[in-house]
Amino acid sequence: MSHSGLQKEVLSLYRRALRIPRSKPEASRSKWNLMLRYTFRTQAARAHPGAFSTIEYLLRAGRRQIDMFEHPSVKDCHVSAEMQSWQTEHKNTSRSQT
Amino acid sequence: MSARLPRLARSFSSSAARNLATPVAQKPVLNKEFKIYRWNPDEPATKPTLQSYTIDLNQTGPMILDALIKIKNEVDPTLTFRRSCREGICGSCAMNIDGQNTLACLCRIDRSGKDTKIYPLPHMYVVKDLVPDLTLFYKQYKSIKPYLQNPNPPEDGKEFLQSPEDRKKLDGMYECILCACCSTSCPSYWWNQDEYLGPATLMQAYRWIADSRDSQTAERKEVLQNEMSLYRCHTIFNCSRTCPKGLNPALAIAKIKMELAAD
Repeated sequence: MSHSGLQKEVLSLYRRALRIPRSKPEASRSKWNLMLRYTFRTQAARAHPGAFSTIEYLLRAGRRQIDMFEHPSVKDCHVSAEMQSWQTEHKNTSRSQT
Repeated sequence: MSARLPRLARSFSSSAARNLATPVAQKPVLNKEFKIYRWNPDEPATKPTLQSYTIDLNQTGPMILDALIKIKNEVDPTLTFRRSCREGICGSCAMNIDGQNTLACLCRIDRSGKDTKIYPLPHMYVVKDLVPDLTLFYKQYKSIKPYLQNPNPPEDGKEFLQSPEDRKKLDGMYECILCACCSTSCPSYWWNQDEYLGPATLMQAYRWIADSRDSQTAERKEVLQNEMSLYRCHTIFNCSRTCPKGLNPALAIAKIKMELAAD
């Protein structure tokens, strides 16, 4: 399947996000993983596939956030109750979807 | 006259108008409409809108910033804008007022009865309402190394000395408060933001080139010696026209061009 330019940008943003946990301390990696997946999925669900300007805005906001997360001085992150309930909800479906 | 003195003294006390025996004439109501750009990042799918607010100018301070603060305090607390010093020295409240980039705290409210339109700085990404994203602007400023570079410490070990004539060269440049009014009024900057540095940054670049205490002048010029960083300036002069501090970035850019041409 070929992707449009915008789709590629979104995918590369998600890829960047998923690579972040590797550079973080062992203990906090699973938290990072959940937080980044949750943030990406919930943000992505806010935009219609055809709303380009919305997607572009979310991309910019996401890049800014990831720039901060990638900084080596950032070591840990917070996992909220919503993220945990989201995780249990999507445990079975997330693999089959992607 | 002497009999009236005590009464005069009394008039200095601060009793409220309604407590006075004879009512003080109330100022007439002078309503004015402000149309303000609104956009909320929490609802990225909704388009930006102009929202209109009507306030009584006789109950408001003289500047646009006073009106904005009044609207935020009394009408709509969700209105978002940057402000800090309210006297034109911090550069936070830069916005586009009636088509002109300026500081809201230095811009008088037009009392002629026409409505006033307020937008964020043009051609910048909007964070919310009147707040633009200035990340790139600050990054560009950082890229010109806006600090004194001189590896040889002064002889007396205390400070670099400068003649009054050399100090005079910095006048009209060191006053810049980096409000980004000039850069965002420049069409060249609109189209080539990623590569062209823009008038504010270039004026600061020249401020350090012109500084007699700085020893890296050649390196500073070398960085600007390319197609984009400096030469995207086509002497449009929007920067000098709009500067709320009355500075002249176009002149500084012309001086850089002259020095680069002379090399």
